[in-house]
Amino acid sequence: MIKRPDYPPMDTAIVMRTVLIALIPGIIAMTLFFGVGVLLNITTAILTALACEALCLGLRKRPIHPRLTDLSAVLTGVLIALALPQAAPWWLVIAATASSVILGKHLYGGLGQNPVNPAMLGYALMLISAPVAMTTLWINPLATPDVATAWSAYLGQASDAVTGATTLDLYKTEFRSLTAIEASRNPLFSQAHLGLIYGYEWVALAYLIGGLWLIYQRVITWHTPVGLLATLIVISAFFSFDPDTATPVWVHLVAGAGVFAAFFILTDPVSGATSPKGRLWFAIGVGILTYLIRTYGQYPDAIAFAVLLMNFAAPMIDHYTRPRIMGREASVKGPGGQS
Amino acid sequence: MAEYRIRHCERQLEGGIHPETHKDLSTSAPCVFIDDPKRLVFPIHFSGGGPGESLVSIGDTVSQGTPIIKCRSGIIHVASRAGKVIDITDHAITHPSNDVSASIIIEPNGSKDQSYLEPLVWPFDADTLRDRAIEAGILGLGGAGFPSFKKWSDGTQTLIINAAECEPYLTADDTLMRIDTHSMIRGACMLSQTLAIKTIVIGIEDNKPEALEAIENALKESRSDCFFDIVLLDTKYPSGSARQLVWLTLGIEVPTGSRSVESGVIVHNPGTLAALSRAIDGKPITDRIVTLTGEALTTPKNVIAPIGTPISYLIEATNTNPASLASITVGGPMMGYPVTDFDAGITKTTNCLLAREVEIPPESPCIRCGACATVCPVRLQPQQMVFALKGGSLDRAIHEGLTDCIECAACNAVCPSHIPLAEWFRLGRFEAREQANEQRLATEARERFEARNRRLERIAQEQEAKRAARKAKTADALEKARRAREESA
Repeated sequence: MIKRPDYPPMDTAIVMRTVLIALIPGIIAMTLFFGVGVLLNITTAILTALACEALCLGLRKRPIHPRLTDLSAVLTGVLIALALPQAAPWWLVIAATASSVILGKHLYGGLGQNPVNPAMLGYALMLISAPVAMTTLWINPLATPDVATAWSAYLGQASDAVTGATTLDLYKTEFRSLTAIEASRNPLFSQAHLGLIYGYEWVALAYLIGGLWLIYQRVITWHTPVGLLATLIVISAFFSFDPDTATPVWVHLVAGAGVFAAFFILTDPVSGATSPKGRLWFAIGVGILTYLIRTYGQYPDAIAFAVLLMNFAAPMIDHYTRPRIMGREASVKGPGGQS
Repeated sequence: MAEYRIRHCERQLEGGIHPETHKDLSTSAPCVFIDDPKRLVFPIHFSGGGPGESLVSIGDTVSQGTPIIKCRSGIIHVASRAGKVIDITDHAITHPSNDVSASIIIEPNGSKDQSYLEPLVWPFDADTLRDRAIEAGILGLGGAGFPSFKKWSDGTQTLIINAAECEPYLTADDTLMRIDTHSMIRGACMLSQTLAIKTIVIGIEDNKPEALEAIENALKESRSDCFFDIVLLDTKYPSGSARQLVWLTLGIEVPTGSRSVESGVIVHNPGTLAALSRAIDGKPITDRIVTLTGEALTTPKNVIAPIGTPISYLIEATNTNPASLASITVGGPMMGYPVTDFDAGITKTTNCLLAREVEIPPESPCIRCGACATVCPVRLQPQQMVFALKGGSLDRAIHEGLTDCIECAACNAVCPSHIPLAEWFRLGRFEAREQANEQRLATEARERFEARNRRLERIAQEQEAKRAARKAKTADALEKARRAREESA
């Protein structure tokens, strides 16, 4: 039995490495169901991230060594690659990663200074500037592409046979006219396998395993994932009293980036709230916004926008969620002191 | 036999860390007396108890126990050995500033001349004991150096003996409890009986079985009617911090900005109580147990050394060449500070000299992981405080709770970015105190000014009233005279 560590890893690079290791199950599951395009994207993103990091450090006249090797750029690259459509062309991956690292991180002063989540900033920018690529190049897990197909998608010639809208989007738009029973006849949403969505449940499970390991390693706390997932479950369960119009709980939970984001995106400590209580509220806020944007918005998924919006709210959350200091009657609330 | 019980602490220290203790390094060798050094150094302003003044002149011959420094708080420091005052000059001091300060230099002459105080005869009252503590120079020997008599207020319910010694490497208290148990127990009993304290709590970490056994044996022999409540604490840093210890043993949260005394609790270090016991017999503090430890010393051990012994002499006592060390840590690895000039003499609060080479990895930016907050025993958010301090906003850091920081440095130990958080907080707290002082002085000046204005105004008003009264009187008289003239006319 391996003893649970008392503290988080005592070096930034090891923190980053631990998160990267925790992503491995998810990456394997993604590759199995969505093809090797996932790995192509990850490789491209890592190389781009490192190049951009080195470029920015050089331009900012900062030493390349300790920052480039702390794996933070690598992690940003992997996260953005996993968030992008699996059949994304190479230029989309490069553009997304470059904007993450340059605009999301170095423009604000590099590691530890970014006000918003760099990966989500890159993702949102791409969603706005390349909407077609970002909404139509998602792999259908029922038609996992072979290496050749994945490679041509990477070069910009994605086959319509394997790509489409995201499953979440699919359920919302195409099944709007159908009843829940009719929708479940689609093999993607067939109840035959675990009663979930083909492929996605395994990906979600893989991310869950990696995420739980991160909690075990004390890199993250339970507050963030529980806050997001519980909020999504509660809200979507409440509206599921009418299954024919509302997207069911399990689609909300498994089909989108829910589990991945709960453990790996919202947990970015720099741009999130900092106290445990604050993290909980931060995640609940993301959960509410995600549901609202998914249901009433026009975007395929909503995590990116919800996270960015809550990033702006994080300093305020910090002001109202300070723990009660020992020896004081109550916690100090609100901003204070000259800034 | 004194009544006692041993219980496991039912509370858990919030936050805290489990550093490697390295205590066996210095406890494996027996504690020894060291020979008198060639010279003793007594800083006039930094011997503990506040700034002071010299009571001797160059050329004076002093006995062991002769008062040499009187501090502003009243505390008197004595010569730890008989000898001659060879100089009063600026000398290196054992202080975080690593500065020089006016010091009395005494050259011991090896004579056994003693000039002790009259033993106190029981029964004596609290004031007598306070006076004795002042004359004998009793300070908190745990490291803070707070004048002990200031803690002894009437209406105290509990005395806590802080035997936790949670700092890694330190074994001075542990050693004292093993070899000087009776003095400690006697000092505690005397103090308790004088202040009518019923319960004496001993908070001790569970990694000191030998000390615990010694205490039990001493209590079995003691004839005191005090009740001893021995609380076994989990070995976790910083359970020996006064506030944390009060909470762990009694469940009392000492309110922010007040001392534990105001909550009816006195916390004393074992060494302080042993020194008090000897002071009652007439012997002021002249020696203390110092832990000489660290991987860089050849033979680490505990020694009983005269106050004022130069650090270099103690390093040599461990068969180590002082020149081989760049600096030495005074205190433990968590809260200690480096001293580079080994000519400085130890003071009453020097509990440990730690020599080891630590490689501090380069600092990287804070990623707000919050590890520091999870180990903070006072539930502060160090990441927020250091952000404010680095941004130059002391106000915001204070708003985040800077003044509640106990400077335990647990946050330093877990920071993945290797940020010297505790150093920032020490600096910030120092600045905050300065600021508060300035504010107090400004307020006082303003109040004086306003009081003067009010006084002047009152005087002016009184004079005005008098003048008006005189005027009215004159007018009255004139009126009367006019009427009289009219009537007579």
